[in-house]
Amino acid sequence: MTDTDDKALLKQLRVEQPRFQGIVSGHRACLGCGEALATRLVVEACGPDIMIANATGCLEIFTTPWPESAWRVPWLHSLFENTGAIAAGMEAALKAQGKSTKVLAFAGDGGTFDIGFQALSGMLERGHDVLYVCFDNEAYMNTGIQRSGSTPHAAMTTTSPPGKVRMGKRHLKKDIISIVAAHHIPYAATASVAYPSDIRQKVRRAMAIEGPTFLVIHSPCPLGWGHDGSLSIEVARLAVTSGLMPLIELERGELTGAMPIRTPHPVSDYLKLQKRFAHLFADDPKAREELVHLQALADYNIEKFALHSLGDDPQDTDGADTVTRGGMRYA
Amino acid sequence: MSSPLFTRGGFALPGTTSQFKTGTWRVQQPIHRHRNAPCHNVCPAGEDPQAYIAEFDAGHIRAAWETLVSINPLPAITGRVCPHPCESGCNRGDYDAPVAIHSIERFLGDQAIAEGWPYPVGKPAADAQAVAVVGAGPAGLSCAYHLLRQGHQVTLYTALGEAGGTLRVIPGYRLPDSVIDAEVERLLQTGIDFRPGQRLGRDIHLDELRGEYAAVFLAVGTQDPRDWSVGGVTPRDLHVGLNVLKEWMAVGSVPQAESVAVVGGGNTAVDLSRILKRAGIPDVHIITHNGLPGPDSLPGDVMRAVPREIEQAVEEGVQIHAHRGIRRLLLRGEQVVGVEMVHMKKLPDASGQLKRTAFEGTETLLHVDQVIPAIGQTIDPAGLEAILNGSAYLKVDEWRRVEGHAGLFAGGDGCSRGGGTVTSAVGDGREAAEAIAATLRGEGLPGKTVSEAIAFDALNPHYFEPLPRNEQHILPVEERIAEVETEQTLDPAQAKAEARRCLSCGNCMSCDNCWTLCPDSAVLRLQDKGATEAPYRFDYDYCKGCGLCAYECPCGFITMKEEL
Ligand SMILES: Cc1cc2nc3c(=O)[nH]c(=O)nc-3n(C[C@H](O)[C@H](O)[C@H](O)COP(=O)(O)OP(=O)(O)OC[C@H]3O[C@@H](n4cnc5c(N)ncnc54)[C@H](O)[C@@H]3O)c2cc1C
Ligand code: SF4
Ligand code: SF4
Ligand code: SF4
Repeated sequence: MTDTDDKALLKQLRVEQPRFQGIVSGHRACLGCGEALATRLVVEACGPDIMIANATGCLEIFTTPWPESAWRVPWLHSLFENTGAIAAGMEAALKAQGKSTKVLAFAGDGGTFDIGFQALSGMLERGHDVLYVCFDNEAYMNTGIQRSGSTPHAAMTTTSPPGKVRMGKRHLKKDIISIVAAHHIPYAATASVAYPSDIRQKVRRAMAIEGPTFLVIHSPCPLGWGHDGSLSIEVARLAVTSGLMPLIELERGELTGAMPIRTPHPVSDYLKLQKRFAHLFADDPKAREELVHLQALADYNIEKFALHSLGDDPQDTDGADTVTRGGMRYA
Repeated sequence: MSSPLFTRGGFALPGTTSQFKTGTWRVQQPIHRHRNAPCHNVCPAGEDPQAYIAEFDAGHIRAAWETLVSINPLPAITGRVCPHPCESGCNRGDYDAPVAIHSIERFLGDQAIAEGWPYPVGKPAADAQAVAVVGAGPAGLSCAYHLLRQGHQVTLYTALGEAGGTLRVIPGYRLPDSVIDAEVERLLQTGIDFRPGQRLGRDIHLDELRGEYAAVFLAVGTQDPRDWSVGGVTPRDLHVGLNVLKEWMAVGSVPQAESVAVVGGGNTAVDLSRILKRAGIPDVHIITHNGLPGPDSLPGDVMRAVPREIEQAVEEGVQIHAHRGIRRLLLRGEQVVGVEMVHMKKLPDASGQLKRTAFEGTETLLHVDQVIPAIGQTIDPAGLEAILNGSAYLKVDEWRRVEGHAGLFAGGDGCSRGGGTVTSAVGDGREAAEAIAATLRGEGLPGKTVSEAIAFDALNPHYFEPLPRNEQHILPVEERIAEVETEQTLDPAQAKAEARRCLSCGNCMSCDNCWTLCPDSAVLRLQDKGATEAPYRFDYDYCKGCGLCAYECPCGFITMKEEL
C-alpha cells in the first residue's frame, strides 16, 4: 500500500512537484473536467514567464471563486467578448516597457467561435505576439449548456434539443481553425486533451514564435456531454481516432502536420459514450441518417487531411501516447 | 529529498484555492492496489514474473535475478525445460503474443552463472533447528535452499554421487550438464550440508533421521520404470526407455536397430526418440494413447511432454502416432518384427469420467525391429516401505505433510501432489520449507488462498504498442546434434527488449499517466522514482474521486473504492 495520510509529507510534496505549477488544486471544476486538465498542461509547458487574459467562462469561474484564486501567474479576467483585445493591450504595454513576458489569451469555444471572435480576429490581424488558446468543450457550459458555434452537428444542448423536427443541433461545427489560419498567422493548431505530449509540443512550438499563434484544444465536459468523469480521456481519444477531431498544424495557412490515425474507429464508438448523442441511437430513420451523416463528416476529415496512417507510426494516434517504465513519454 | 526540478525553472507558492479542500466532494476514492499478475498465479514454482521483469526492465539485472531466485533457485534450468504455463496465462497473449517469460528467466539464470552471483541467503545460526532433506533433485534442492532462507540448518542426502536427480537424465541438447553443474554447485555453496552417496534404506534410515532432525523432507522422485507388457507378453531383448537414456548419457551408445517404436507420450518418450534420431537410427516412431497438444485436444488426453519439444521432435523426423494403442506385438520367435496399433480416444462415460476407448476395425501394422517402452516411472520404495504401505506415492496434504506422520514432509514426483515437472517440484520444495519453518516455530501453517489474477480487460491497452516477441534462436534441423543446445539464450539486447513487452499487470510501471492526467493535481510524485514501488501518492485533500486515473492506468494498479 503506497497511499498515505502523512500530512507533512503531502505538504512537502505539493511544493516539490517536478513540474511548474501555475495553476493549483482546490479549483471548483467538475469531476474529470477536460478543460481543467488541458489548462494545467498548457501552463506547465509555458513555464512561469507568462501573463494570462482569461475570458468569462467555466475556466474563469472555477479557478477564481471570490476571493480565492488557483492561479500562480499574473492573470486577468476579461469580458466574454474582448479577450483578444485585452491580450493585445497587455502585449503592447509589456513591449513598451521592454519586457519579454509572453501573453496568453485563454477562452472557451463560446468566447472564441462566437462572442469574442471579432476581438480575436483583430488581434491576429494586427500581429500581436500572443498565444491564444481556446479550450473547446463544444457549448456554453457554465451558463447551462447552450449550443455554440462549436457544438457539433446533431448534438443535444438545452437550446438544440432533439425532437420531431431536428435531431439536435441543425448546423455544422464552425471550422474555426481554417478561419483563424486564413489570417495568415505563423502558427495555428488543433490538439486534444487525450494527447498530452502533443499538447506540450504544440505549446512549445507556439511559444517559440514571435507573433500571433493559436491553439484549440478539444476538452470533454462530463456534465455537458453526459459521460462519466472517468471517461474524459477515453471520449477525447475517440474523437481523434474516429476522425471527427483531426489534430493538425497550419503555418501561414498551409497544412504542416497532421496526426495520422492508426485504426480509424467508427464514430458510433465515440457518440455512444455521450448522452448528448443518445437520441441518435433511437429506432428512428432520422436518427440513423444523422449517424451516417456524422460518419461521413469523419470520413471527410480523414480524406481531406489524409489521416489514415500507412503503417505503424510512433507519432500516430496509437503511438503518440505509448508509455514505458519510468514515464519517458512525458519527458 | 533533493531540491525541486521544474520543466522551465521557476516556482509558485500555493494559490488561495488550496485552502478549499475539494476532497470533501468525493464519494469514491482511488487507491493503489497491487493485483496478482496471471503469470504469477499459474507458475507452479510460485514465481512472480511481473516483479523480476520490472526490475530487469528498470536496468537492475542482479536485483531481478535475486527477486527471481527468492522463489525459484534454478532459473537457468527451469528457463530451459519448463513447459511455461505462465506464457499461456500471460495477458499480453490477448494483445499480440505472450511475453517470452521462460527466455527472460533463462537469460537471468545464465547471467548469474556468468557473473558468479552468490545466492541471496545468509548462514544459519549455530543453534538453529536442523532439518534433513532426502533426495537432491529439484524438489530437494529447492526445499533445502528455502529452509536455509528460513534460518534452519539443512543436511541434504542423496543416493547418487552428485546432485540434480532426474535433471541429469534430460538430454544435453536441451539441458547441458554444464548448466546443471553451474547452478546446482553455487546453490550447494550457500551453506547446505550436502551428503552424496547416501541411500535411504541402505546408508541412512528414516527412523534415525526422524530422531536426529526436527523435521524430514522426502524428495526421492520416481526412479523405477513402470512395468510394461502387451497382454502379458514382452520381447526378449526388452530395453526400458529411461535406462536407454541413462546409458546414452553415460557411454553414448543405444541399442542397434533400423526402426524403433517408442511407447509413451511424456518427456522420456520424446527425449528418447530424439536421442535415437541423433544416434543415427533412421526410422523412429512414438506411439501414444494421447493426442498432440493443440486447441482441439481434451485436457486429460494430451501428451504430457513439453509442447515445443514435441514440435521439434517432429521437425527432426520423429513420426508420432497419436491416439493409438498397441494391441499386439508381432513376434518372430521372441524377436519383435512389428506392432499392431489401434485408434484410441478418451471419451466421457455416463458419469462424465474420461475413459479410454479403442475403435474396432481401425487396426494397422507398423514394422519395427525394436519396441522401447517409456511410459513413466514410479517411486522406488526402498527405505520407505513402512510409510508407503503399498501405495505408489507418498500421500501428502496441501502443506506437503505426509499424512499420519508428524514432522515428515514430502514433495516432487514421489508425492501424491507431484506435478511431474521440474517447476512443480521446485514449488513443492518451497511450500514445504515454509510449512516446516512455520511448524517448527510453533506458528500456524501458511495461508493457501491466492487472490484472483487481474484480467486483460482491467488494463488500458491503449498505452502499449505491438512489439514482436523475441524468440530464442533455434538451430536448423540439420545442425542439431546431441552435444549442442538446440535453443540459444537470448542476447542481452533481445532480453531487454522482451522485458519491455511486459504489460506490468496489476503493478505500477511509473508511467506518470495518473500524475499527468489528474485534472485536480491530486496525484503527487515522489522524486526518487523507485523501480518497483509506485512513486506516487494520492492527495485526498483535493482528489474529487472522478476515477479518471483508475480508468487510464495502463496496468490496473488503481482501484476506485466506495467511500459512502
Ligand atoms: C527424460 C526426462 C525428461 C524430462 N523433461 C522434463 C522437462 O522438459 N520439463 C520438466 O519440467 N520436467 C521434465 N522431466 C520431469 C522432471 O525431471 C521431474 O519432474 C523432476 O526432476 C522431479 O523432481 P524431484 O525432485 O521430485 O525428483 P528427482 O529429480 O527424480 O530427484 C530425486 C532425487 O532423490 C534421490 N533418491 C531417490 N531415492 C533415494 C533414496 N532411497 N535415498 C536417497 N536418495 C534418493 C535421487 O538420487 C534424486 O537425486 C523429465 C523427466 C525425464 C525422465
Ligand atoms: S504481461 Fe507481464 S505481468 Fe502481465 S501476465 Fe504477461 S508477463 Fe505477467
Ligand atoms: S484522477 Fe485525480 S481526482 Fe480523479 S480520482 Fe484520480 S486522483 Fe482523484
Ligand atoms: S497510471 Fe502509471 S504511474 Fe499511475 S499508478 Fe498506473 S502505472 Fe503507476
